[in-house]
This record gives sequence, C-alpha cells and structure tokens, in this order.
Amino acid sequence: MLNIANLNLGFGGPAQVVAEATCSVADGQRLLICGAAGSGKTTFLNAAAGLIPRLLAIPYFSGDVTLRGRPVSTIAKDELFSTVGFVSQNVEDQLWDLSVEDAIAFPMENRGIDKEKIRARLEELIDGLRLAPLLGRRVLTLSGGERRMVAIAAALASNPALLVLDEPTTGLDPQARERLSRTLREAAASVSALLVSEQDPASLRSVVDTIVLLKERRLSAPYRRDDILPLERPWLEAGILPPNRTRSQRKPANPGAVLLEISGLTTRLARSDGKPVLRDVGFQIRAGEAVALIGRNGAGKTTLFKSILGLARIASGSILLDGADADGWTAARRARKVAYVPQNMRHILFNMTVIGEVVFSITASTATTADKAVADRAAAMLARYGLSGLAQANPFALSARQLALLGLACADAAGAPVAIVDEPLLARDVEGRRMLDIFLSSMLDSGRAVMLISHDLELVDDVATRLMILDDGGIAFDGAVMDGWKSPTFAALGWAEPYATPKLGGVA
Amino acid sequence: MSQMHDLNFFVKLALAFAVMAVAWLVPGWRFGVPFAVLCVLVLWAIGVPGLRGYVKGALLLTAMVMASWLVNLFFQGVGIGDALPVAAAMAARLIATTAAFYFVMETSSPGSILAAASAARLPPIATLVLSLTFGIIPMLRDDFERIADAQRARGMEVDDVALPTKLRFALARGVPLLVQAIRMAHAISFSLAIYGFDLKRNRTTWRNVGLMVEPRFPWKDTNDET
Repeated sequence: MLNIANLNLGFGGPAQVVAEATCSVADGQRLLICGAAGSGKTTFLNAAAGLIPRLLAIPYFSGDVTLRGRPVSTIAKDELFSTVGFVSQNVEDQLWDLSVEDAIAFPMENRGIDKEKIRARLEELIDGLRLAPLLGRRVLTLSGGERRMVAIAAALASNPALLVLDEPTTGLDPQARERLSRTLREAAASVSALLVSEQDPASLRSVVDTIVLLKERRLSAPYRRDDILPLERPWLEAGILPPNRTRSQRKPANPGAVLLEISGLTTRLARSDGKPVLRDVGFQIRAGEAVALIGRNGAGKTTLFKSILGLARIASGSILLDGADADGWTAARRARKVAYVPQNMRHILFNMTVIGEVVFSITASTATTADKAVADRAAAMLARYGLSGLAQANPFALSARQLALLGLACADAAGAPVAIVDEPLLARDVEGRRMLDIFLSSMLDSGRAVMLISHDLELVDDVATRLMILDDGGIAFDGAVMDGWKSPTFAALGWAEPYATPKLGGVA
Repeated sequence: MSQMHDLNFFVKLALAFAVMAVAWLVPGWRFGVPFAVLCVLVLWAIGVPGLRGYVKGALLLTAMVMASWLVNLFFQGVGIGDALPVAAAMAARLIATTAAFYFVMETSSPGSILAAASAARLPPIATLVLSLTFGIIPMLRDDFERIADAQRARGMEVDDVALPTKLRFALARGVPLLVQAIRMAHAISFSLAIYGFDLKRNRTTWRNVGLMVEPRFPWKDTNDET
C-alpha cells in the first residue's frame, strides 16, 4: 500500500527532522509510529500522507514515497486525498466553522455523493462514535476531545484506503479511546491500512499490529506489537515512558492554607435538556496540593475553569481566592490568582515573542519591560523550561511541545497561587514528564497549588495528591487518589484503573 | 419566530434586498425612521443573536452618519433645521439596510449556506465565496472575543478600565486577530484540499433544502450512553 524509502525531511536548520527513514505499510497492516514529543512524528506522517510536499512546502525533502506503487507526487490531489484519510495532531488545522454533521459530511458532499448515501453514512458514524449529543453544535465550540472525534469521523466518512492519524487519542477520555479503537477495528473492512502516531503506545494497543520507534530522527526496524509492549529498554531509549511500567512511589501530600474555595457554583450555561452544565459544585484547593480533576469528555471541566476565571457566567455560588471573596472581581483580577495553561496554548497567546509572553505573564499588562528584575525573571523561566534559545521566536512558530513548555513557563512566572493545567500532553514522554515534574515542584514547594485536568489516568496516579471526579454536573468524588480508583463513582465511568492490569498486547 | 433562522439562505438574501430597497425608496425621515426602528424590533422579535452588540454599533453608526451629513450640509449653506431631516433619513436607511443583512449574516451558518448553494446547483466557486463572505465576519468576531478572553485569562484588565484604555486594548487585538485570520484561512484551504473540494465538481448536501434548510441531522437516540 505505502512504501517510504530513504526519506529525509528538514526545515532548513542544521539537523534534519527525519533522516533516511524507510518503512512500508502493507494492505491489512496497522502500523504505529511511536516517538517522544518533538521527535518528528508529525513531519513524518505529513510526508507519508502526501501533505508534504503536495500541500505543505518544506525546505529539504528527498527520498521516495509511493502509494500503491505510484509516487505520491504524481497522483492527482483529488485521487490522493480520496485514497488517504488524514487527521492532524492539531485538529483545528483542518476544521472550520461548520456544525458537527456538516464537518463529517463535508468530504462526501465535496465528492458529489448522493444525499441518501451521505445520510446513511452520517448515521453509521454518529452511532459508531457516539456523536449524537454533539449534533447541531459548531465544531469550534466543542472540547478538544470532541473535536478530535468529529475530525476522525470526517476522515472515515469517505472510506479511505489508507488512514493516517497523528496522535488521535489526544484529549480523549478512556471510554472515547475505546470507542475509537472499536471503530478503527470495525473499519478494517473498508480501510485497507492504518498508519498512526502516538506518544502513548498502549492507547491503541487493540488496533495496531506493528510498532516502529522514531528516535534520534531515525525509524527503528518494525516490531510485532506483542513483542515490544512488555519490554522497557527500547521505549526508554526512544525517550518514551514504557507502557508496562509500574506505579511510582507517591509523594506524601502536605496541604497548607486554602488558596481556592468554590461553593454552591451553578452555571448559567445549560445542556439541551435545560439542566445547568454544573450544579452546586463545591471544593477547596490548598497550598502544596496537586489536585487532579477527571471526567468524561463534555462533563463540564472547561466550563468549571471558565467559571473560576469569570469567563463563564454563573447563576449562583461563590469563589474565594487566596482568602478573599472574588465574586465581584473581573476575570483579569481573578487570573492574577489563577494561572491557566490550556491544552492548546495558541488559544491564549497574543504577543509577538516568546520572551514577550513570559514578561506579559509577570506584568499582566505589557510584553516589554525596562525593569531588570522582570527581564531576569522571564529569562530564568525560559531557561528553567529549556526555551532560552527561542526567546525571540514568534510563539505561533513553536512546536506543540515548545508551546506546552511555554505554557508552564508563563504559569510559573505569573506567580499565581493556583495554576490550572489542562491536559499536559508533553507529560507522555520522559523529557516532558521531567519538565512537568519541575513545574509541579516549583509550584508546590513555593506554597502554591496545581489543579490538573487530564484523561491520562497514569499521569494522575503518578503526580496527583488528591482526586476529584466531575460527573453529572457536580463533583461526584473528592478524596485520596487510591480511594478514587476504588470508588463507585469511578466504577460508574467504566474506565480501567491505572496500573491495575498489565498492558500487554491483545484486544482491550 | 426562531424558525425564521432556518429559512433558505437565498430567501433571506432576497428579503434583505427587499428591505434595503424599501428603506432607500421611502420618502424622507417620517417614513424612514419608523421603518428602521421596525427593522430593529423585528430582529429582537425573532431572536437574532448578538442583538445588544448590533444595537451599540447601530447607535454609533447613526451618530457618525448624522454628524457627517450635518457638517457636510452646513458647509453647503444648509441650515440645521433643514439638514437634520436629511441626516436622519440617511441614517435610517443605513440602519434598516444593516439590520436586514445582520439578520442574514447572524442566522446563516457556513454549513447552511453551503447546503442552500449546493442544492441550487451553483458552481462550487460561487458556493464557496458565498459561504465565506457571510461566514467570515461572525468567525472573526468570535476570534476577537476569544482573544479578549485570552487577555483576561492572562490577567490583563480590559474591563475595569476607562473607555480610551478599553479602545486601545481593543485595537491591540488587531495583530493577534490578523495572525488568527491567517491561520483560519490556512485551516479552510487545508480542509478544502484534504476533503476533496473541487472547482470542477458540483457539491451535494446532506440537508433537505427547500424554503427552509434542515438545521440539524435528525436523531432518535436509543443507545445514548450518557
């Protein structure tokens, strides 16, 4: 189906992003490319899918990419993208202001397929991926995980022969991952081959049969899934957390003063049945705590932090920040007490340089400063998170990993008592986890607190000192992490407890 | 009345042009001003979203149009008593016209425009241009608001400040808005390429299109896990 030989890709810098990559995906094969964040997975997949060089120019490209024996550069675009379905790591790059059903039907409508056939396919995909609750909504108003499911449905809509997915489980809750896995297994009848990249090799273990590691710009030889998953060394050498690792030693929590207190919070934003998204929510976050918040996609996690920040209007309830009543505060005043690191940092960047963003986090008013103390602090934060060399770069030119690190640097620099970190995706590899640990230590050791929103339950298990489960509009569980995994609330989610079962090969 | 939102885009467009024609044909301010007020009231009655923002803009537009006409006529030697009805009539025409097209723009999603144009078998280029022309302004406005929220979420006080500062901060959103507009254009062109949009091939639509455009896919959910 797909053959790649001696592929070299570079952006004009001293080192290539991908060097001498050779691999193939046969009919019926499901190949997983695993690598640390920033290892070149996205660039490689873009070339494999024909996006490079057909749609995306790149300064250095050499090697051969052939699809069914024909060089992709000679295949007409329409034929190429009818054969290859693609979902980008950053799904916002391929979605615009359409409704959910419009976005899924878009590829079929463009290809002139009959209305009845489109409707039948829509029904199949909506049912298979459980997208019915999202119908009628604009895709750009959905949560990150919901958007990704819509983009995957759109990629599947035209029954491509080769499906290329770049980190498709990003932002998906465990149940949504299982739905995706099931859909991809069921799609085997029509989708001949699958090429997928992930940082977490276990997330699609029931789908893939072959795994290739991308390390130091080069692809490894292919491994059979069941041969490599139980191992530790190849993963660590590739900078990835081994999928079969065991639970780490938990740090003892030492909570201090209350930094954030929510009581009786009910939102104005309501669901289609008229019920508020959040009802009578109450909790505290204390100094020195790393509190994890988990819940299904669409449970209201985004609405909760927007309510805390004052960006979503509430019907009732009160918020205390650092001991002060914050009910009458503007969003900006609250933000100086609660730093926010979103899943996609591009949502909150608006300055023209990386150092400018950090300076802005400190000053909350300007991206330039004559104050040496501010400049020194900003430079120190960039150094702490390995971004010194990018101080003058435009933030929108950064990779996903660099953006995530910039988010941590900004939150740390802001000095707010509480930081809300939404799905820190960089934490899935060894170096990213080290950076997140640096951030957590910096926050907690200085008497601040972190609220971590994540679907990565192993990350939650590793770093959280307390667990909250958001379900049915409220905090359904609030307590110790280990108690949380054993609670009826967690059981009701239908998710597997982290570290409870060995993650060897086989269908989950 | 919200069913008006689901009218076929071309019907809405025809209605808007009809309203504009009436607004420019009615003689003088005695008919023009009540007609403009009626147009705004209709927007309110049919629940057009973002009406508060539109009214603010309309008041600003009224003030600017009247001021410019009064100054213009003053320099031509027309007295204030004679100039005022002329300026009011001109402002009323613009308010009625903008209200009509605001209704079209706010109640027509790019998807519903694509559906109406595809059902009418318009050439793909016309379909694309219409959906982007009417869809891009709400998209950019949403981005403008999102950037403001980003500024707030980063601690920048854009609310509890004097009006000149507020205006300065709003202007400062121009550069990130430009960056966002470029990204949006890239996302649209990228999705057109990978999702098979072809200028030589007429599109179809999943929606039932007639006088009304089906607003959402019908679903009777018996297995919803949530």
